[in-house]
Amino acid sequence: MALTTHKTRIGNDMKTTNAIGVRNKKTRKTEARQVVAFKSGNEMAALAGAHINFHVMGFYPITPSTEVAETLDEMKADGQHGIRMIAGDGEHGAAGICYGAAVGGGRVLNVTSSQGILYSLEQLPVQSGTRFPMVLNIANRSVSGPLDIRGDHSDLYFVLNTGWIILLARSAQAVYDMNFIAVRIGEHPKIRLPVIVSYDGFFTSHQKRRVQVFDKDDAKVQRFLGKPDTPYHALDPSRPVTFGPYMNDPDLINNKYQGHLAFEAALEELPKLFKEYEQLSGRRYDMLESYRMTDAEVALFVLNSAADTTKDVVDKLRKEGHKVGVVSPTVLRPFPITQVQRAFKKVKVLVIGDRADSYGSGGGNMAHEVKAALKDDPDNHTICINRVYGLGGLDFYREDAEAWFRMALETARTGKVKKRFDYHGVTPGHPDVVMKPVLPPITKEETSHNLVHVEQDPDTGRLKVEMEPIHRFTTIPNRVAPGHGACPGCGAFSSLRQFFMGIEGHVVVLFQTGCSMVVTTGYPFTSHRVTYVHNLFQNGAATLSGLVEMYHERVRRGEFHEDPDITFVMVTGDGGMDIGMGPTIGTANRNHRMIILEYDNQAYMNTGAQLSYTTPLGHRTSTSSVGPQQTGKQYHHKDTLQIMAATHIPYVFSAVEGYPQDFIKKAAKAQWYAKREGLVYGKVLSFCPLNWRTDDDAGTLVTQAAVDSCFYPLYEVEKGKTTITYDPETVGRRMPLRDYLGMMGKTRHLLKDGNRSVLESAEAEVERRWRKLKAMHDHPLL
Amino acid sequence: MPSKTCLPIVDEFGFFEVRLDSIGGLGAHLAGQILGEAAVIKMGLNALHFSSYGSEKKGSPIKSFLRFAAPDRQIRSCSPVERPHLVAVFHDALLKTTGGLDGLRKDGTLIINTRQTLEELKAFGLPGNCRIYFIDALAIAIEEKSRVNTAMMGAVTTASGFLAPDAVLQALSETFAKKHPSAVVPNERTFQRGLEELELVAEPSCDVIEETKEDDMPLRPSPKFGYLTAPIGGCITEAGSSYTRDLSASRSGFLPVLDVEQCVHCGMCDIVCPDLCFVWKQETSASDDALIKFRLEGIDYYYCKGCMRCVDSCPSGALTRQAEEEGFAERHRVVMFPEAKQ
Repeated sequence: MALTTHKTRIGNDMKTTNAIGVRNKKTRKTEARQVVAFKSGNEMAALAGAHINFHVMGFYPITPSTEVAETLDEMKADGQHGIRMIAGDGEHGAAGICYGAAVGGGRVLNVTSSQGILYSLEQLPVQSGTRFPMVLNIANRSVSGPLDIRGDHSDLYFVLNTGWIILLARSAQAVYDMNFIAVRIGEHPKIRLPVIVSYDGFFTSHQKRRVQVFDKDDAKVQRFLGKPDTPYHALDPSRPVTFGPYMNDPDLINNKYQGHLAFEAALEELPKLFKEYEQLSGRRYDMLESYRMTDAEVALFVLNSAADTTKDVVDKLRKEGHKVGVVSPTVLRPFPITQVQRAFKKVKVLVIGDRADSYGSGGGNMAHEVKAALKDDPDNHTICINRVYGLGGLDFYREDAEAWFRMALETARTGKVKKRFDYHGVTPGHPDVVMKPVLPPITKEETSHNLVHVEQDPDTGRLKVEMEPIHRFTTIPNRVAPGHGACPGCGAFSSLRQFFMGIEGHVVVLFQTGCSMVVTTGYPFTSHRVTYVHNLFQNGAATLSGLVEMYHERVRRGEFHEDPDITFVMVTGDGGMDIGMGPTIGTANRNHRMIILEYDNQAYMNTGAQLSYTTPLGHRTSTSSVGPQQTGKQYHHKDTLQIMAATHIPYVFSAVEGYPQDFIKKAAKAQWYAKREGLVYGKVLSFCPLNWRTDDDAGTLVTQAAVDSCFYPLYEVEKGKTTITYDPETVGRRMPLRDYLGMMGKTRHLLKDGNRSVLESAEAEVERRWRKLKAMHDHPLL
Repeated sequence: MPSKTCLPIVDEFGFFEVRLDSIGGLGAHLAGQILGEAAVIKMGLNALHFSSYGSEKKGSPIKSFLRFAAPDRQIRSCSPVERPHLVAVFHDALLKTTGGLDGLRKDGTLIINTRQTLEELKAFGLPGNCRIYFIDALAIAIEEKSRVNTAMMGAVTTASGFLAPDAVLQALSETFAKKHPSAVVPNERTFQRGLEELELVAEPSCDVIEETKEDDMPLRPSPKFGYLTAPIGGCITEAGSSYTRDLSASRSGFLPVLDVEQCVHCGMCDIVCPDLCFVWKQETSASDDALIKFRLEGIDYYYCKGCMRCVDSCPSGALTRQAEEEGFAERHRVVMFPEAKQ
């Protein structure tokens, strides 16, 4: 992505007002060259990253922060920066990558949101406690559950106690600016702490605004950034250092006190740094931004984007003659206590908005912190009212801010507070509108069709399967109801349809987070006609294993009138099975009686097609861009089935909707094993027209080509014995890999001459894996 | 280009607000982005752009919002546009379902991509107090081998009264030049036709549509369930309730049509259909199990998103891809769940 480097001035007013509207007299000599652009907060985080040119970025895609890595990846493919970008196996892994990189003494960047920050949470105090600076952007998003992808501050509140400096960015412009500040403050010799830059998911991350960015080659910018300088790092063998000792009492408290002193230093250094940055950029920041607060009698305290929305309302009410203002911190850690006390000294009534609750504590975290600060000012008599608002991305309109101001003005007039703490924006619902079943439950009889006959061969112990013609399956009710919101042509649902054709009787499903979870359960609708459970995609297998064992235990204790005879199925995807691999292997090692079905569409399509570990070499995704400096994904795809086969579970299979009979028979076998012997792991290559860049109706042809090119062999590992269930070579259908890759827009670049070496490497790997599989098919001991 | 541009009308906060009402995949987000970029970078105005983000995918409703302001007016409000001065509906089927006209201001501007007449569309509650334009953006897009969004950008530019065609064209060409160089020329042509082929079909005082009583159209709807009525923990006890959703608007102009005479009832369409639209009937024979027949009755077009995978899979030629004519799907829909209340 190139910056817009045109010379247009933004009207006459740009001389006095810069992009975020901070007044500055004239462009000073100290200011770096800047250009005007129209960018979102995520794009601004990415541009800051590129301009700072961090050494390493470890990341894992999660909405709504993903675009930062995508933008940087695209720029990287174009040669616009030199950051070494590493997609982790999950946010925990990404945080580990970042920590390791930081110990190496260079500059490190990460970006995440919501579950991502929670999943990596334990790594955060490790990094701050051992005092390694880096920059972590958080596009704030609600934490699950239920899962909500939109913005609130529940993720931010989890990091308050991690020992990281926290800077808040109200606007896209501030996201850019705070990244520069973050590098400098974190690396300050008296501080040396990692820094979070927090901005509102979607509101700030995705909204495009008029902004300014530096010409990165301007020497003033580079002078401001300086070079990272660490007292200790792990890459100097002449100075061996032990990082992270085993430290109990009486020492740990001293380590923590050192951290406390670093925060004290940050309180002093940040205002100086803001001034220095103003000289560079012309944009002024303070520890606490006070808008029209000089004589304000009534005020709001809110974080980030809501504060910006409130400013319009302040202007409106000021016109009506009300003395109102709004305060919003730029720095949340260290918390600017003195500035808070000063801001509210003369304020009669203050409404503190919290975009997350601190459940059961009688208020949100900001209310507690502001009130604690004011309590230490003996002259302060401000009445504090606290409202939790905007959860899960519920919009904060100007009307909401106005309602709070009117409530506060009324309180200032009467001196009476109706309710000190409450939620703002909740809906009671209408008593007549309640949930009740709309479709009859699918009965065991309806789905016990006996159309697939599974028999155990007494000689080999393996299963023999025969099935009736496909059309006889058509009247069996679908476990998934129509009306789901998947993209046109989505292969996940045709695959699920075929899989469930082979499954008889009652089913309980667990879907990990992914496309098919999201498009089937958008509240208040569900497309599941059977009982469905969701858990986050790092933990579905363990979760379902718990449910399976509860089922067997309750059956054993005779708690059911009649054994409901349930088959348990976990569905994982999109993107295959990456982040939950650990619990999946654990579940396999314990051999619970359940089926795990992975639908692999070769990238995280749900969040906009970022690479997953199942993305094959050279494929284009939004984090494996194609450009002069990069040809798609840099390494080969993970062989999940072989990993799972190595756990020695009873049955492992691959299937694809282009070969439906093969698929349905394997589903029936899977059920047989899952009911009697233990865990089954199945993998489906799942058609994604949107991001494979094919026509919507190409699913059958493309998935068949994946099989016929031997990229995706159809086989099973049954009690350790590998069998290729369909061999394109023996039926004369083997096709070159390039013909398969030529069918998809995401891989067509691999057929160009310049990418021949990548194609040859992919062909060689496919051939090697296929030959090995053939050998395993031929030899009973392999 | 120093800006002397004036916004024709602004709200009390100094904004001219636009909402694009669309379906994921038609490119409304990109259209909004280009219009915003043109205003800021090429015209020296101030602007903000964003879209409604949910978890829904290609083919699902999406709204894209623009807030324009004078150069010196800061844009700080980040909530969605609720009281637009201009609404552009990218697909007339949206008029049925998505509240696309909500909040449209009196004397505002409404653009609809449609092939229908005002007479046919007015039943969907078109406002009587606005300027209404029609444009057949789909036809333009098909003829020019480009997309609906570019034609709609042209229409919005003309109808806005302040967006400079040259500025938008420049922003548009630069955007496509970066990613799809071959798409620049078709898109420029499409934009040009969008500018010109917009047709004014109604004005506030005209007598085609009854005068809208209220000053304004309604605002945001309440959630169906609230804290007193929703089961705790977010659980949904209406299993399979998505069957009540009408996804017809997800189709982009084409649908599969079944000729039962040619159908061999093999079931291949059924196993590739991601949207589970095929309605079957089992005809049993009391005497002989082998005589059980499975017959494909038809398609429940409520759910069909028009992917045409069924047509691709059909061995007998019974399923064909056809341009969707108004009312066809309603007339030929075979209801999948007649027993349940829709």
